Amino acid sequence: MTEIYSTLFGQNDTQPPTGPAALGFGPGKPLPPMPTNQAPVAAQIPGQLGDEGPTLRKPGAMNEPFYLLRELPVGNDLTGNTNLITHYSLEHAFNKFCGKKVKEKLSNFLPELPGMIDCPGIQDGSSLHSLIEKPPVCGNSFSPLTGALLTGFRLHTGPLPEQYRLMHIQPPKKKSKNKYRHHRPQDPLPPETPSDSDPKKKKKKRDDDPDRKKKKKDKKKKKNRHSPDHPGLTGSQPNSLR
Amino acid sequence: MAEKFDNLEEHLEKFVENIRQLGIIVSDFQPSSQTGLSQKLNFMITGLQDIEKCRQQLHDINVPLEVFEYIDQGRNPQLYTKECLESALAKNEQVKGKIDTLTKFKSLLISELGKIFPEEMTKYKAIHGDDPPS
Repeated sequence: MTEIYSTLFGQNDTQPPTGPAALGFGPGKPLPPMPTNQAPVAAQIPGQLGDEGPTLRKPGAMNEPFYLLRELPVGNDLTGNTNLITHYSLEHAFNKFCGKKVKEKLSNFLPELPGMIDCPGIQDGSSLHSLIEKPPVCGNSFSPLTGALLTGFRLHTGPLPEQYRLMHIQPPKKKSKNKYRHHRPQDPLPPETPSDSDPKKKKKKRDDDPDRKKKKKDKKKKKNRHSPDHPGLTGSQPNSLR
Repeated sequence: MAEKFDNLEEHLEKFVENIRQLGIIVSDFQPSSQTGLSQKLNFMITGLQDIEKCRQQLHDINVPLEVFEYIDQGRNPQLYTKECLESALAKNEQVKGKIDTLTKFKSLLISELGKIFPEEMTKYKAIHGDDPPS
């Protein structure tokens, strides 16, 4: 760095000058005249210092009494001074998300999705994060199942055991009034769907249970015993008015 | 752009509905529902094929990873958008405040230096030109 100063100010000494004069803080002393043979070297200096930020002004320019005066940075039209939301036309999005209250739960965003989606995905291993960490095997094409492959899907009849029942499956909620959502086509259920899945028929089955019938009868009897209209109770009740 | 999302959304809705019906069949299986089960399984495969086709149209869509965290917690992903906008506005205001403060400081400094070093400041203004107030 001191070599640059010597070339700038025409000093032939190899040793760097000491004291405040070397730094240009002298009390207004006139600078020595630039030797002509050193002008090309001086002209190369801004190129060498180009990687240190804004370029230094040429020493030949009238920069006295300033020292290491840099060019001002090129003004950028887009700064934090402008409202960037207006600049990028995001007012509508801002009013939509920040003007109104956004509901907290995921089910409010996806009302038609069945299941208990408001629970954290880590609990049942359905998190997207685990999908990113351990991506599934991809690349194979999807081919329909043939008859031989479908034999593996022959199931035992009857309801699932309690531990395997997916009790969190819920029917989808009411459709939201969104013009972008297409009307859900009602897939016709296969004609051979079991009758047990129908809730009305399930209720009937429950009623047909003999044990439940007995329990209901007992309950009715107990209720009738304790009712004030029962003929056997009016005399026995201590608080009854006569 | 919206059409691509609508197409994918439609396929996903059909797929989810198919899976839901499949779960109902399996929860209380009867021999008569075997053909229905096979049909639903093949619908599932065709659904996956349709979703795979949609993937090619959306290869340039990028989703921030932070949105996945919201979904994994069972929270509305629109909250992420809301928080992004709010933080962008707050940062914008903060930077604007800094710019305004530094602009005022610059003008005050130039005026005070002009009082102390009038000759030097006139030379400085001659070199840099009269900087317009930003």
